[in-house]
Amino acid sequence: MHPAAFLGVGALLAILFALQEWVEVHQMSRHVSFMLLLEAWGVQYLLWALICWMLWWLLGSKLQRVNLFWAIVGVLPFSIATSVVEEMIWVMCFPNLPLHMAHMDFWPRVFFQLRAEMVDGLVIFWCAFFLFRAVGYYQRFREKEATAAQLQIELVQAQLHAVRANLNPHFLFNTLNSISSLMRTDVSAADLMLEQFSNLLRMSLERGNVLLIPLRDEMEFVEMYMAMQDRRFAGRVSQDLRVQPELHDALVPAMILQPILENAYSHGLSQIAGAGLLKIEARKEDSRLRLDVLNSGVGINPDRSPQFAGHRLGLTHVQDRLRLHFPGAHTFSIREVSPDKVLVSITLPLRLCESPPEVLTRYGA
Amino acid sequence: MIHTVLADDELLARQKLRQMLRQEPEIEIVGESSTALETIELVRLSRPELLFLDVRMPGKDAFSVIEELSSDSAVAMPAIVFTTAYDGYALRAFEIHAVDYLLKPFSSGRLHTSVQRAVQQIHAKQVPALSQSSEATAAQYAKRIVFKSRGRILFLPVGSIRWIGAEENYVRICTDSESHLLREPIGRMEEKLDPQMFLRVHRSSIVNLQYVKEVRTETGGESVVVLLSGQKLAMSRSYRTRINEWLARS
Repeated sequence: MHPAAFLGVGALLAILFALQEWVEVHQMSRHVSFMLLLEAWGVQYLLWALICWMLWWLLGSKLQRVNLFWAIVGVLPFSIATSVVEEMIWVMCFPNLPLHMAHMDFWPRVFFQLRAEMVDGLVIFWCAFFLFRAVGYYQRFREKEATAAQLQIELVQAQLHAVRANLNPHFLFNTLNSISSLMRTDVSAADLMLEQFSNLLRMSLERGNVLLIPLRDEMEFVEMYMAMQDRRFAGRVSQDLRVQPELHDALVPAMILQPILENAYSHGLSQIAGAGLLKIEARKEDSRLRLDVLNSGVGINPDRSPQFAGHRLGLTHVQDRLRLHFPGAHTFSIREVSPDKVLVSITLPLRLCESPPEVLTRYGA
Repeated sequence: MIHTVLADDELLARQKLRQMLRQEPEIEIVGESSTALETIELVRLSRPELLFLDVRMPGKDAFSVIEELSSDSAVAMPAIVFTTAYDGYALRAFEIHAVDYLLKPFSSGRLHTSVQRAVQQIHAKQVPALSQSSEATAAQYAKRIVFKSRGRILFLPVGSIRWIGAEENYVRICTDSESHLLREPIGRMEEKLDPQMFLRVHRSSIVNLQYVKEVRTETGGESVVVLLSGQKLAMSRSYRTRINEWLARS
């Protein structure tokens, strides 16, 4: 909050109180100069404005987070001390006040003043305190909204990315070419390939705007994606999928594995001529979910080709999404476990979906 | 021959079906229609036993067509295979006992399965092999299960299930060629399946007795159920007596 806001509110209150007292005093047919009242109230409230601004500036974030215990043990004594100090400063500024009374020393004047003003001081302090808290809540609410909006954007991008991955020229035209070739030799195989391709597209479009999905749904997508790829690789890549049964309901960001697999195919498995291996494993480690994707290929060579930029891009995207969903609570690593094998590992806090997605399953005649 | 009508507003969709159905010797196409009204007319006139029906057509949707046909007592309701690009009507289709629900585009393999099921269903109706009483007892058990798997809708006849394995909150349904993971408790599946046909052999598995080859005691002393496919499933002692009873019967 800008210091001018504090000063403005302080000045406004000072004028109002000065006016009120002036009217009161006049009704009692006594005379006091309005300027003196304005000065006294002005110093009072400008001091408070200064104090509140300093509180906001120096301690604002602490006051916003303080719990009930510390509010009582810490903030309450602090508020009393602040009120006392404020009155002391005020009394120092006006050695001639109160008017129409025998002259008093500094401390008696402070006590006289505190008897009248202590409660006002505390009220101002605590009003400021609760105002800061309210502002804090509002800010956090806005931040949460902004993060949610950011997540939505990321998800839409991930979906587009997945659709594009299915439709990326390399994959799309090779698939179409395979179908075209099969049309002449094996019509039903061409049909099957078209069917798989549309099922994959249907699933990736149908997923909607859900951010976290059960691992089971992610794996189903992965299976379909791998079945498609398997056709292109004519079965030379052996696939191995292992998911611990208690992890079927574990929540993962939608389409978190697909870019990793795409990467494994395009930069690992497609670079070798012989038999390859692609292994996906989901297991529980303590209270965390661990996802491993191991592929055989040519290892990681950081100097290799401009392709590597794209290679990084897909994985950077995965990391960005993990960071957004599990700030500080996830790990991501990519490393060569042997000269021809690359392992991508993700660990996440394990959370199971509480309300299972609406399933179609019914029994009937 | 099974008299068949193809209803789809798209010419190419009908053409594809027609060509694919040439591979099916039992199917004879008696007519094609492209709107709801045409379909109703055509079915009334040609009395087909099988109808391939697109859900969305000009005029009324497929369900209104069916409603209209079933209100006409003079027309025997044909077996229905839905063909559509939308999966949203699957449950309604299942509930009105449609034979199958094909999501476009489908392969000839997928169509072949549908045709086989339709043929079976049509023949079963013509030859009432089951007596009334056994039909009544069988009715409380599921004959088919509808679910989504890998972007498809399946109306799976329970007879094609080889075995079912529990995986926590899920069950894995294994057929001859595939396995499907459904979010269902195995206990619920057991309740829904005919005990004459399926047997719980372990806390986490149910077998279709049709596919059981033998029950064997392994060298370690553990009992296993061996399926015709060679697959072995662990068996609990507590279930042993039940399977022995069954073995003694057969």
